[in-house]
Amino acid sequence: MNKSIFLRELRSNATSLLVWTVIITFLITATMALYNIFLENNTKILAMISILPEGTLQFKGVSNINDLFSVLGFYSANNVIYMLVLGSIYSIVLSSNILLKEEYGKTAEFLLSWPVTRGQAFFSKMGVVIINILGLNLVTTIAGYISLETCKKEPYNVEAFLILSLYTLLLHLFFAALGLFMSVLVKKPRPITTLSVALVMVLYFIFTISNITPDLSWAGYISPYKFIDLDVVNPAYRIDIVKILYFTVFSFLLIFSSLRIYLRKDIYL
Amino acid sequence: MNTPAIQISELTKRYGKDRGIDKLSLQVEEGEIFGFIGPNGAGKSTTIRVLLNLLFPTDGSARIMGLDTVRDSKKIRARTGYIPSEANPYPFMTAREFLHYTASFYGAQQAEKKITELTELFDLEPGRKISDLSSGNRKKLSIIQSFIHTPRLLIVDEPTTGLDPLMQSRFFDLLRSENKRGMTVFFSSHTLSDVQMLCRRVAIIKEGRIVNVEAIETLRKKQLKKIRIEFSDTVPGDLASLPGFENGFTVTGNAMEFIYSGDMNSLVSTLIGKDISDMTIEEPSLEEIFMHYYN
Repeated sequence: MNKSIFLRELRSNATSLLVWTVIITFLITATMALYNIFLENNTKILAMISILPEGTLQFKGVSNINDLFSVLGFYSANNVIYMLVLGSIYSIVLSSNILLKEEYGKTAEFLLSWPVTRGQAFFSKMGVVIINILGLNLVTTIAGYISLETCKKEPYNVEAFLILSLYTLLLHLFFAALGLFMSVLVKKPRPITTLSVALVMVLYFIFTISNITPDLSWAGYISPYKFIDLDVVNPAYRIDIVKILYFTVFSFLLIFSSLRIYLRKDIYL
Repeated sequence: MNTPAIQISELTKRYGKDRGIDKLSLQVEEGEIFGFIGPNGAGKSTTIRVLLNLLFPTDGSARIMGLDTVRDSKKIRARTGYIPSEANPYPFMTAREFLHYTASFYGAQQAEKKITELTELFDLEPGRKISDLSSGNRKKLSIIQSFIHTPRLLIVDEPTTGLDPLMQSRFFDLLRSENKRGMTVFFSSHTLSDVQMLCRRVAIIKEGRIVNVEAIETLRKKQLKKIRIEFSDTVPGDLASLPGFENGFTVTGNAMEFIYSGDMNSLVSTLIGKDISDMTIEEPSLEEIFMHYYN
């Protein structure tokens, strides 16, 4: 770890972290503000949902229509896209650029000619990615919790909310590790932002298609989204060690491989 | 015997379609200003990037101050300064922030004093944002950052690109004075005149290989001029037999063009009495010197 790189990166990524956190927090709280209106108009809403194509609810990860009327079910169905997709896009874009920007910006010629090892540069930047993701998740989880507490009409399963938040954090870290891995494989330095965003979208799309198409349910396992249990209203909702292991083992392997590659990478400028 | 500042042994770097460098060997002694010259694409920057461990050698090895460039890269970089050919410092920083950022890696003593001295020497406004700086000013910034920690070895790659003559002269004076205080300089360039002005010895690289390592004095003695003479009538036939024309000349209409390495007085005496309508004498390009020497 190198203090100079770490502090420099923290500072240069602060605005982006702030903007993303504000946007996601706003989307979550604004959506939760609609919960009461949703409850008050439940008959109309049920009628409206009944005319929607089959699979629309599964698309949002909802297995039973009544789940939508519980505060946690509403939170999970409506905020999943913000937390799971936008948050993952933030994580992968941040991590896929953090090392690579030194190459396509040609600043690596300075940074790597100063007395710092590649390992120190790698861990300092990785540290910033982890701290930013933790920051985003902490603020958005607190915002989600406050929204739930404010909007709830009946008690809900706080533990299920926290488990879902933990899965979300692990998903973000997984995408960050994937972004980092992709960036160290790039030989001709150029930004890979579009590719990173596209990858998140494609993996989310595979997950949703596999949810609404029983014949394709196997394909969902290609996507990390499959390993997030969205059925928070289920009374049997528990933390699943296999899912936790899936995210941590794959993230660790991706980070470890990225480091191995970066330590021996030819930096072309 | 002193450890050489740079010791490159049979160093090879191949990548993709690019030639890279091939079994390159050379030695730079401590305290000298060593020129490294060759046309664009000859392998100069590749050699430097292997020395700095931005690139890994395919074969062979390089040592700086006795340390291996791959294994001891961090230790080497603590004692080395580097001026890259294209200066692209962090565009969102101010010049001062960039210099402080650089100094923070070295834990450089008296960095502030040095930053003030050098920014004044090179007329650089430290408060300006790097994205607003001209390429010449970015080059100055790149030069200043390489001196912050008083390196024992300075590696420079095309350092004069973008610098005006006054700044070039200040930079050369700085190199000379730091060299007197013991700093070794590895000076890579495709401009022969820059190398001639500063260096005692020069390595000539062509197509990834060292063609020759010569003392600058020897090169000077082989002073070459590119001469074009236009005659009022046809080109006289008796010029070809003169010494200094060994490599021949080209004739276009009434004009002849040649690289001349002989004695200037004898050329002038030969030309007396000839009906000359125009004549130009200029420095040959490096490529022309290569053609002259190594054909």
